[in-house]
Amino acid sequence: MRLGRVSADGDDAMQRDDKAPPAFATRSGIPLKPSYGPDDVPADHRALAAALPGQPPYHRGCFPQGYRSKPWRIFQLSGFGKPEDENERIKFLLKNGETGFLMEHDRNTADHLYNVDHPDVVARREDVGMTGAVMQSVREVAICMDGLPIERTYGHAGGAVVQHAPFALAAYWTVAKRRGIDLRELGGTGQSDFFLTYLGCVTKQQVPTAAGLRLNADIIEFCGANLPKWVPVSIAGYNGGDTGLNAWQELGAVMANAIEYLDEVKRRGHMDMTAAAHRVGGVNFRTTMEIFEDAAKLRAARKMWHTLLRDRYGVTDERALKMRIHIVTSGAYMTYQQPFNNIVRGTLMALTAVLGGTQSLGVSGYDEAISIPSEHAHQMSVRIQQILEHETNIPAVTDPLGGSYYVEALTAELERRGWEFVDQVLAQGGFLATIDSGWLHARARENQHAQALAEMNGQLKIVGVTDFKDDITPFEVDGFPPVSDAYEVALERLNAVRRERHEAGAAEALRNLERTCRNTDNIMPAMMQALDAEVTLGEVGEVFRQAWGDWKTPELV
Amino acid sequence: MDAAPRILLAKTALDGHWRGISVVARALRDGGFQVILGGMITGPEIVRAAVDEDVDLVGLNVGGHVEVAERIIAEIRSSRPDLPVFAGGVIAPWAAKRLKALGVEVYPPGSSLDDIVACARRLTGHEQASA
Repeated sequence: MRLGRVSADGDDAMQRDDKAPPAFATRSGIPLKPSYGPDDVPADHRALAAALPGQPPYHRGCFPQGYRSKPWRIFQLSGFGKPEDENERIKFLLKNGETGFLMEHDRNTADHLYNVDHPDVVARREDVGMTGAVMQSVREVAICMDGLPIERTYGHAGGAVVQHAPFALAAYWTVAKRRGIDLRELGGTGQSDFFLTYLGCVTKQQVPTAAGLRLNADIIEFCGANLPKWVPVSIAGYNGGDTGLNAWQELGAVMANAIEYLDEVKRRGHMDMTAAAHRVGGVNFRTTMEIFEDAAKLRAARKMWHTLLRDRYGVTDERALKMRIHIVTSGAYMTYQQPFNNIVRGTLMALTAVLGGTQSLGVSGYDEAISIPSEHAHQMSVRIQQILEHETNIPAVTDPLGGSYYVEALTAELERRGWEFVDQVLAQGGFLATIDSGWLHARARENQHAQALAEMNGQLKIVGVTDFKDDITPFEVDGFPPVSDAYEVALERLNAVRRERHEAGAAEALRNLERTCRNTDNIMPAMMQALDAEVTLGEVGEVFRQAWGDWKTPELV
Repeated sequence: MDAAPRILLAKTALDGHWRGISVVARALRDGGFQVILGGMITGPEIVRAAVDEDVDLVGLNVGGHVEVAERIIAEIRSSRPDLPVFAGGVIAPWAAKRLKALGVEVYPPGSSLDDIVACARRLTGHEQASA
């Protein structure tokens, strides 16, 4: 975010209208009737009612046996402090029943491609390690991954922010190779998400979107050729949703983002579109407290994906037409006040994800609005999922909401509005253009302000926040305390790498990386060489900044 | 009537989530303030912007460790002891206590926008300003 002014003639003021009647509508504005019958389901959607899960267009689910054949993956965000702190927490989660793991990198360093001795980091040194471990070289990544069974556990290497993804992936893969693991057998994912990077959590410094698109296409193609079991990028509608996009905007924007990636891969012409479609088909959404709309959103997403791939790219391969969904329950719905209420909210949002047929799930911690998860909050997030899996019998039947007049009508309406939003984005010049111009930010902002207004007007009640504020709990939730020595240890380790590495090898790898940035070769082989030569995060950042400069951030606020 | 009071909103952390500051900035604007966005800036940069922009109040969006906010507050007070400061953001209860002990009002997630605007008016001596 840059220096700027909130203009007096910008978006409309938040007008108060205490007389507005309570509207029966979903949070995305779809009007709700008191009950639903057969005539409320559009005819073309009704005709699909006979399609079972596993049959196209897959709104009822991609797999005929659903959770009988494969339970959803319990997959929690995790990380803080020093790499060994993060390692300990990941092992704790795995011991408690997590079935995949996610590595968070420190936001100050990783998101900005700075080493800890960068002046912007030094000025905030106590923040280092607050929401992810500091990992400036392959050595620190190896500490974080120590003893993790990566050969048989689905891992998320980090790299949520676009410019960081090549470094994070190359580091993870380098550690795997050093353990003697065949990368062709390695399963896992990165993220490299445009929604986080350019919409929801706008860093102080970032490569421009065109360079970001090139990096993601490089990752997709590199994985296609070398890591067939790896999901190279994960479009994360979650980050659009928690920033303010509503359910059908989230759907439409995710499809528009996929179009941007797939058009680019097609233009480059190195990769078969069926393979590319399958690679990009692991997508992330959020679920909120808007239970039926969000369960329907997952159903609409699968159908839209099938339609997009078939109609725009001519994909016919069944496997490539099936979207796999990862859900994170909305952090924005977790409250600071009366935090134990968030266990109920987490349960309901997780239930929504399961009813919608998600393939993997992370539940926000009950202390989400206070800090990163404590061990107990993390354990509760896993327990919520285990209770749903083992005690409710919900997983026995796939798409239990299928055939509900209400849910089918919502699914059809979300799909209709989702495609309309895709058309609006394309009319603006495409997904990247709406990010560069700030058009997408403006859509999010409208909804942010509408929600704030609804809370002020009393139209939107939040238990413990706007209403029902008495709290008699004897337990204080004080949040997870930050690790105090993350900065000092990272600085020591950075200096040790600089002292001990083979300097000529590192310099040669950096020059090679620089050359690759300026030509059209795939960046990943050069990044792998750089990580192996113990090139550091900040050095990669310098190369990127020299090659591509800085993204021109649109007006956010 | 006085000119609109001027407020500088700054983020203490290198964390670019902007939804919170967006909603607060809009409410302050609608409450009659001239809002200047500082972005992710350090203590010395905040002091410089406060002088350059001649602001009446600084709002800190605390997204990281409370020690960073404490240092920034000390830097502001050492050069502009008369300039009031208040804070909002993901601030754990124990950290909020530390800021309150410094005389800084704290608005964690879920705070009422009306309360935030009222606080800004009080701190700038503009209680009578119209909405």
